[in-house]
Amino acid sequence: MFTLLAQEAASNVDAGKAIALALGIGLGSLGAGIGIGNIFGSMIQAVARQPELRGELQGIQWLGFALTEAVVFYGLIGGLLAFVLV
Amino acid sequence: MRRLLAFATTLALVAPATAFAQAEEEEKFDPSLEFEQHPWVPIELGPLDLSITKAVGYLILATVLTIVIGIVSMRVRFRGSPTRRQTVGEQIYEIAQTQVAEQGLPHKSIRLWFPYVATLMLFIWVINIISFIPLPLSNERFELLGVELPTLAVYAATSSISVTLALALMTFVFTHFEGLRHNGPVEYFKSWIPDVPKAMYPLIVPLEILGQFMRLVSLSVRLYANMLAGHMLILTFIGLIFVLGNLYIAPFVIGAATLFYLFEVVIVVSIQAFIFAALSAIYIGSAIEPEH
Repeated sequence: MFTLLAQEAASNVDAGKAIALALGIGLGSLGAGIGIGNIFGSMIQAVARQPELRGELQGIQWLGFALTEAVVFYGLIGGLLAFVLV
Repeated sequence: MRRLLAFATTLALVAPATAFAQAEEEEKFDPSLEFEQHPWVPIELGPLDLSITKAVGYLILATVLTIVIGIVSMRVRFRGSPTRRQTVGEQIYEIAQTQVAEQGLPHKSIRLWFPYVATLMLFIWVINIISFIPLPLSNERFELLGVELPTLAVYAATSSISVTLALALMTFVFTHFEGLRHNGPVEYFKSWIPDVPKAMYPLIVPLEILGQFMRLVSLSVRLYANMLAGHMLILTFIGLIFVLGNLYIAPFVIGAATLFYLFEVVIVVSIQAFIFAALSAIYIGSAIEPEH
């Protein structure tokens, strides 16, 4: 596998770009991971305290989840743009 | 049931083997090739390229399906006990009404804008869900028993930025149209600026104007990147068999790809449809009734 990766990244520049892309997306998903964990953690606490509000909270929960999750993809698109253009 | 499952598993394990045999002489694996657009029916009006491509084909299919689903689930003759069709229709309607329209839109304009946000939700859901069903709409062909057939492929029209940008532009235009109509130009543009000391205006005003356009970007890029990344992930995992040229890893990568596939179909598809409609409702609602 590693020989193949070495062939793929024929020049050092390509290898550097690949590492930068992977690192960037990985670090980007770190933040979103924390955010999503926060959202679901708060949701569990809220439902544990007031179970009757579950229906109302669920809409807000998914809204927050999608908004947070999208941040990873902004990072991904930015990374891909940099990967392709530079 | 169990026998069916065993059969499906065998089929899934055999399928890549035949594909592997074909892929030997093909070019290098590149998942981004799946997202290329080739004009099927070239239509060019001067500088405008209005050719019918794969994405347009999916859009047409999704439009027809949305209309069919709408008519089938809503036009139900009323009887004593509700049929299954009626229940499904009522559930769709209830989500669109309570979770999307009532969360964002002010009470007086629900009547006018409910159809728009409900259509957005249903349409994006349909176009996302058909993107995970293998359809013979790709340009590639393969031969089976001497007959040339189009290959089955998954492709999302929403993984093209033009499609999502068009949807987001619609919301953008409607937002400002409604804001201008209900508040008048002066009041509306004033409502963009928050309560800050006058000295801060040179800093805040450009940011707020930029923020209005960032909505357009975030709305379109969110849907686009979600679908692109989802498809890319599945394709890359399957493609790992061909990249590494090793058939024994097939069970693992197909398992991983199936996992992501289920995650996408069950969660992401519905969430993205919901959030696009909900944010459209919130944007339009906040333009109709600014907070101050």
